Parts: sequence; structure tokens; C-alpha cells
Amino acid sequence: MRPRATPYVLVGPATLLLLAFGVLPILVAGAVSLTDLDAAGLGDVSRVRGVGLANYAELFGDAAFWQAMRNTAFYVAVGVPSVVVVSLVIALLLNRSQSRFFRFLRSLYFLPAITGIVAIALVWGYLYNTQFGLVNYLLSLVGLGPVPWLSSPGLVKVSVALVAIWRGTGLNTVIFLAALQGVPKEYLEAAALDGASRLRTTWSVVLPLLRFAILFVTVTTVIAWLQFFDEAFVLTKGGPLGASTSISLFLFQQGFAGARFGYASAGSVVLFVVIAVITVLQLRGRRSDVEY
Amino acid sequence: MANSSVRRALVPAGLAAVLALAACSSGGATSPQATSGGTGSSSAAPTGPLTVWVMGDATTKFDTLVAPFTASTGIKVKTVAIPWDSVDQKMTTAVASGDGPDVVQVGLSKLRTYADTGALLTLDDATVAGHANLASSNFLDGVAGKATAVGGKVVSVPWIADTRVLFYRSDILSAAGISTPPATWDELRADAKKLAGRGAGKYGYYIPQWDSPLPVEMTWDFGGDIIGADGKVNFDTPEFRKAVDLYTGLYADKSVPTAGDFDQTQGFVSGAAPMLVSGPYLAAAIKDAAPDLAGKWSVAQLPKGTTNTSLLAGSNMAVWAKTAHKDAALALLDYLSTPATQVKWFQLNGDLPTAKAALADSALTSDPLVSVYAAQLANAKIVPLVPNWDGATGKALLDALNSIALKGTDKETALTALFAATKGQSIG
Repeated sequence: MRPRATPYVLVGPATLLLLAFGVLPILVAGAVSLTDLDAAGLGDVSRVRGVGLANYAELFGDAAFWQAMRNTAFYVAVGVPSVVVVSLVIALLLNRSQSRFFRFLRSLYFLPAITGIVAIALVWGYLYNTQFGLVNYLLSLVGLGPVPWLSSPGLVKVSVALVAIWRGTGLNTVIFLAALQGVPKEYLEAAALDGASRLRTTWSVVLPLLRFAILFVTVTTVIAWLQFFDEAFVLTKGGPLGASTSISLFLFQQGFAGARFGYASAGSVVLFVVIAVITVLQLRGRRSDVEY
Repeated sequence: MANSSVRRALVPAGLAAVLALAACSSGGATSPQATSGGTGSSSAAPTGPLTVWVMGDATTKFDTLVAPFTASTGIKVKTVAIPWDSVDQKMTTAVASGDGPDVVQVGLSKLRTYADTGALLTLDDATVAGHANLASSNFLDGVAGKATAVGGKVVSVPWIADTRVLFYRSDILSAAGISTPPATWDELRADAKKLAGRGAGKYGYYIPQWDSPLPVEMTWDFGGDIIGADGKVNFDTPEFRKAVDLYTGLYADKSVPTAGDFDQTQGFVSGAAPMLVSGPYLAAAIKDAAPDLAGKWSVAQLPKGTTNTSLLAGSNMAVWAKTAHKDAALALLDYLSTPATQVKWFQLNGDLPTAKAALADSALTSDPLVSVYAAQLANAKIVPLVPNWDGATGKALLDALNSIALKGTDKETALTALFAATKGQSIG
């Protein structure tokens, strides 16, 4: 084997897998988005017709699509800062001690991340229930009337996002904790010798050193929220009246409940482009401070 | 939130995987003729094993039901439960891959969609010849033969029937001075308003916000239809507007709960919503949840507009077009259509039969609730077999009505959007 070929052989298998499961589906979705493929077309390919950009034209004129886009923007705007800030604060607090109790707390915060979404949906569905829910019961104890957590079009996005924030915090807390372990003790000792307060040390020493972790968590969290699906799907199915439908859920409804694969593929291509653009912008934005 | 890479793959890749499978299967050489052994040669006994997809979670009971069939024919039956929520994905994947069951239960609202895929075997007279129990004259007229044919082709046989009746709490109604259940929709609206006046958290009626057939039933009851003479969906009729006024009027009266997560069984048992239109499964749920409520509730036929036509729902059984065991599958359908089998299924799972003889069986007629169901079944229609009722026409209908009732959208604005969204849908 020629030495120059070695690296290609080493990355070959991973590249093939990436092509088969990463790139090919996107290309297929792109091709399908130019057709009118539906359930009948799946059974009999001769009934599939090319429709050019008609799916895209319809998509951009579809009020439900724009509603899903707006909902997704809301989820990203509320979810990303919440998850990043909450998990960072929790990580900083948990990092204060290595005692048994704090280690127990860590696993407690991680628990939502490893709990099945269906179980979560069941429990939260009951907590949120307008008639019998624990949340409304607690509110009634202080004299507040029942709140329609999941059935008010205005409130449902917040209720669903709350569950997702609760669920997404644990994993990111662990990432931040790992990054905090990497902060050199010398810096902290130097800051202590200089008489810096704990808050000042955190703000001026620890947080700058966490920049890469914060970027990583932000980028993955943005992508995750742009593809927001699970919580809305299991808690509300996107209702009421599409008020909690995210883009992914809209695509799922069109593709599987509506059997409009061409239309759903067009939407998935749009979502792909949106995610790609936003991710590239974030990574670009980071270049300026890489020399810190 | 789950791992983001999993999520990234979820929609586009999942969809594309289905499509890739579709591309593969189209090139496959397994035509139904090539694999269906011994059509017409009655000398060779049909063989299995058969895979049957049953909707819901009644596999154990279904196993019990078909045990005598296996015992007498030697055909093994493997029952697979398909949860109602994942029926669409399961069918789509099966159609795309060509790898389906032998026999599949199809809800009537899904029948058109699945028939359009060509995945279901056409059950014409020649195919079902020799299976006396499959003759369409044996079944309820509303679902038999042509009534559930798609594009003129029969692709399924009736299995279980379901209809909607009015459930009411006789104790609560009489306490409010209402001696008989409402016989007309006008009376129902008045009674509901009266019952809702009992206090905070009390309602008179319950409208499930996901129940797309309800406004259709109301339209039928006012003497209209949602399908025009040309076979196309048409909501722009005076009768439908009456149905809209009734539906949204119940909300305007504050007679119905607006919470989308209101639990109809608990609402009925607790008395919060003492009247609603639902199917026989609600009776089973009430008996389960509150056996001590016996005697305090009952069912009646739907209230009248000019008529009181109800929904005929339920499921049919179909044979997968690419099955390798066509004869065995037909033999199983024949067994399932036997009146005795259908009566047994009613006793096992509480589903109403579709065979007329089974409906007339004393095991059913002796039950006072069932006699109401049976009478209502005789005056019931199926939801029009338009493509994708659940995902398109029915959804647009619910969205329009709920946006008026819950968000206060202007009625004409909502209806105009509904007409536009459903234009061109046709049963042809």
C-alpha cells in the first residue's frame, strides 16, 4: 500500500457511511421534492410525476408552513438561551463541590435526558392537564383558576418549550461540567491571590475559558431546537390549531399523515438550508475571538 | 431534547429512507401472480403462516379468536398489534418496501388512502367465490360491497362496526328537570345550556376537538351532505352552515369545555360533561372506570335535525396484494366473517359486528345498549371516501370550526379558508 493512500483508506469507511446515511438522503429528498410522490406513487412508481418547483411555490404560499416557521423561531428564541443559561448556571453551581451529595445532584439533573420521551409526555401531560393536573391543583391552592396549559393556542408553545428545556438541560450541564474540569487550577489560585471575589473569578476567568464549550453547546442546541419535534409531537400533536407545530412536525404531518412525500421533501430541503445557513453563521462568528 | 444528530436524521433521512425503499421495491420481480400459489386450484389446501396486522392492542384476544381457525385448518396466524398512532407510518413503510402482512385491518377513514397505493388485493366476485361468508349481502348495507369500494373496486370486507350515539347521565338530567334525553339538536343545545348553568367547571355537552365526523353527522342530520352531486367535497351548503352554527353555538353558549385535554370518560363519570356523542367504546370505558355508575346513564339515538343519521365507522379487513398466502388469507377472512366468530369477538372485545346475522344474535340483542347501537347502525353512513380524510379534509374541517370556537375567528373567513382547502377533493 502506498503511504499516500493510507489516510484515504482510514477515513474511507466513515466517509461511505456518511455518504449513504448523510448525503444520499438529502439528495433523494431534493429529487423527491420535485415530484408529486404520494402514497399511490409509493405503490406504483409510474404514477409519480415531476412537478418542477410547484411544491416549493405551494410551500411558500402555505399559511400552515409559515405558522410552523414562526413557531420554530419562537422555540429557538426561547429554548436556546434558556437551555444554555440554565445548564451553565447549574454546572457552575454543581462544580462548587465534589462531595457525594453534589454527585447525587448531578445524576438528578441528568435524569430527564435519559428518560424516554413517551414516559415524559405521559407524566407532563397529566401535570399539565386542565382538569386534574397537579400544576392547576397547586395554583388552585393559592386561589388561581385553572390554566389551559396545553389547550390554549397562546400558552401551548410555552408549556411545550418548558418541557423541552427541562429535558435538554441535563445533557448540556454535563458538557459544561466536563469543560469546567478543564479550567486550570493555577488561574483560579492566581485570581484568589489577587483577591478576586468568587463571582469576579467566574465572570473574568472561568467563563472566557469556557468559550469553546459554550459555542459547542449553542450550536448543537440551536440545531436541536430548529428540529424541535419530540415534545410537541407527544404532548400536543402540534395542536391546538397548529399553535405548537414545529417545522419538523409539519413535515412529519405532511409526509406521513398526509402521505405527501414530495411536498414534505420540499419542506425538509428548506429546513436543511435554514439549519445549514444558521450553523455556518455561528461558526463564522466564532473565528474573530479564536485567538483569545 | 434528544441527541441532535439523531434528530437531524429524523425527518429528512427517515423520509428519504422510505423513498429509497420505494425505488428498490419497484424493480422487484415479485408480482402477485408469481407468488400467489394455487389460485383456483381448490384441491391444494391453503397454507400459512399468516401475518395479521390488528389495530390497537387486542392481540391476545385476537389470538383467542383465531385459535379454532388454526385448529381446524392448520394455518398458523401471527397477530401483530399496530398502535393507532403509528398506523400511517407502518402502512407507508410497508407499501414502500413491499414487505407487508398477509391480512390487515384498515380503519374506514384510511381505506381510500391505502386502496390508492394498490397495496390491497381486489376482492371481486371471482376472488371471493367459494367463500360464502364474504358475500356482500351478509353485511350491513352501509359498509358492504360497493359502499366501501374505491374506484369501483372492492378491496376489503367489513370487520367491525362502530356508530355514534348520544350518551347521557340520566341522574344529572333529571336533577336538572330534564326527563328525557334531547330528541333534537335544538333541544340538546337548550338542555346543554341549562346543565352548564349548574356552576363553575360544569358543562352540558362535550365536543372532542379531534372528532372530525361530528360536524359531518350534524350536516347529515340537517338533511345535507358534504359531497356534492359531482362526487366532490362541497361544504358550501345551507345545511353545513346550520351544522357550523350548532357546533360553534354550543361553544358560544359556554355549554362545552374549551380545554383540548378534557377527558371525556372522566368528564362523563364526574358529571362535568353529562352529555356527549361517542361510540360503544365509551360505554366500555365507563363500565371500567365507574362500575358503580350503572343505572345512572344510558344511550339514545342521535338527536334529530330533520333526520338523525349517525356515523358508521369501524374497520374492514383487507388482503395484502403481494401476499404469498392468498387462499389462506381469504379462508381467514371467511372465518372472521362468520356470524358466530363476530359474536365471539363482540364478547371478547366489545366491538360491534358487521354481519347482519351476528347483529341479530341474542347475545347482542339482549343488551339494551346494543339494541340502541343496532338501531342507530341501520341509520348511519360512512365518512366519504375521499383521499386522506384524517390528514386533509377532516383536518381542514376541524381547523375551521375550532378556530371559530376557540380563537374567535370570523365565521365567513374560516369557512372561506375551509372551502379553499378542500376544493377539488373527490370520492371518485
